[in-house]
Amino acid sequence: MGHAQKRLASTAARLASSVHASSLKSFPPKEALAGPSASSKTKTPSSLAVKPNFFAADTWAALQPPTKAALSTFTHRIGLATTITSPDVVQQACTHPTFIPLFERHNPKDPVPASNANLSALGNSLLGLFATEFVNATFPHLPTRVMKAAVSAYVGPTTCSHIATEMGAQSLLRWNRTSNTPTRPAVLHADAMASIPRALTAAVYQQHSLLSARKFVHKFFLSREVDLRSMIKFRDPKLALRETVSKFGREKPVSRLLKETGRFSLSPVYVVGVFSGADELGEGFGSSLKMAEFRAAEDALLRLYLTRQPPHLVQLPSSTFSSGVGDVFTASGTAIAPYTPGEIADSEVLYGSAGRTGTQVPGARTLAMSESAADIQ
Amino acid sequence: MASSSRAATKPLLRAQLFSRPANGHVSFIPQVRKVVIEFCDSWASSANTRTFMNNHLEEVARANPHVEFAVQQRSQKEPIARGFYLNNRDKVIPLNGFEVNGIAKKIQLLLDSSGAKIKPLKRRAVESTTESARGIWSGLHVDETFKI
Repeated sequence: MGHAQKRLASTAARLASSVHASSLKSFPPKEALAGPSASSKTKTPSSLAVKPNFFAADTWAALQPPTKAALSTFTHRIGLATTITSPDVVQQACTHPTFIPLFERHNPKDPVPASNANLSALGNSLLGLFATEFVNATFPHLPTRVMKAAVSAYVGPTTCSHIATEMGAQSLLRWNRTSNTPTRPAVLHADAMASIPRALTAAVYQQHSLLSARKFVHKFFLSREVDLRSMIKFRDPKLALRETVSKFGREKPVSRLLKETGRFSLSPVYVVGVFSGADELGEGFGSSLKMAEFRAAEDALLRLYLTRQPPHLVQLPSSTFSSGVGDVFTASGTAIAPYTPGEIADSEVLYGSAGRTGTQVPGARTLAMSESAADIQ
Repeated sequence: MASSSRAATKPLLRAQLFSRPANGHVSFIPQVRKVVIEFCDSWASSANTRTFMNNHLEEVARANPHVEFAVQQRSQKEPIARGFYLNNRDKVIPLNGFEVNGIAKKIQLLLDSSGAKIKPLKRRAVESTTESARGIWSGLHVDETFKI
């Protein structure tokens, strides 16, 4: 399907699901009906000239507010019926700021509806906060770049738009497609949809508390599946492993061939393990010795980076807030759970740092060990 | 003396990264959005549907606050129930020939469905997003290799 056909299909789906005739005073709307007014009894020549009727069905449909039933069922579907009691808050969360100029153009006398611009910005910050602390507490040895990528995967723009669609907010969204201008980027359907879950997070925070917002984020964003393995990429895992092992103060890694079969045949298989002293750090297979050694080093590093704290032992810094109603400055009460910060991991190695002489700086653990060795002496 | 500097590994474009849904693992979003019951005022085939609407529809609607319920006229035709789902599909079930509790069962079927197309499961292999719990067997990781 080309871009134009996709736009047509998405417009049709939007129109079909948003408005129901039972919620309108009259359908078809008066401005859609063409022809001269029926009340004129004498047909003067001037009234015979038919006035051109400019009625755009999709603009009309885009301007219709979502029904109270749609807002209420949406709130129940996402489990926020007791937290967000007013449908106006949900309507505000589903109104993108690009809708305001469109509304003002067609209804100049009506009060301007509230948009989700501020809520979306606040919610975005909250999402980043909760996702970062969760990823850091769950995977303490993850490299920084991978942690940032994981946060983007959990609460980034693509995920937010997917979540909004899966919640069923597509029929509630009010927005207007705007093209690129020198002052602001274009707003597409995915951008407008992505603002809804962010706005809902901020709405939960405002209506209740920070910890309720955290619960909401954990329920809808952080329970989804993210493949961290595919985000960790190696250029030279053997070098990275050597540097990492030296940071931990262990013996140099040595690769040993564990098993092999079919050496001079078309399909050899080698199993290589990489050892630090007597401890096996990782194992890899391959159709060549080099490939198996590469995979063994990769496996060793992945076992370190993807070390996962069990969910029942994860301690999050935001647990130091209380669960009382109100924002973080006014809520009263004590912390809901204890928090002891973990040791800052020293396991990250950097490739090709510019400006260094190439010397390898020993890590904290090696320094501590050499200090304690010096103390003993 | 490389004129163009390349990234060490293929870079990740963070704005394009996304997570996969896990509906039901922690939270569950019911997939049914709206149920519309279309009936005829006069025909006898809609009599049981009209009875259901008058007596039982309200309690079903109260028990399912996440679903919009609507009734619509469908004159000189057989009664139907139409369910709308979050995957933009709809399911249509004709309600003629059922007793009132049969109609209640069909409405419940619409409420329980996900809206996905019915796929025959007899010959399909099991697909999973999680890796196997016991791992995949390897002939080189047994006590005695090449012994079947």
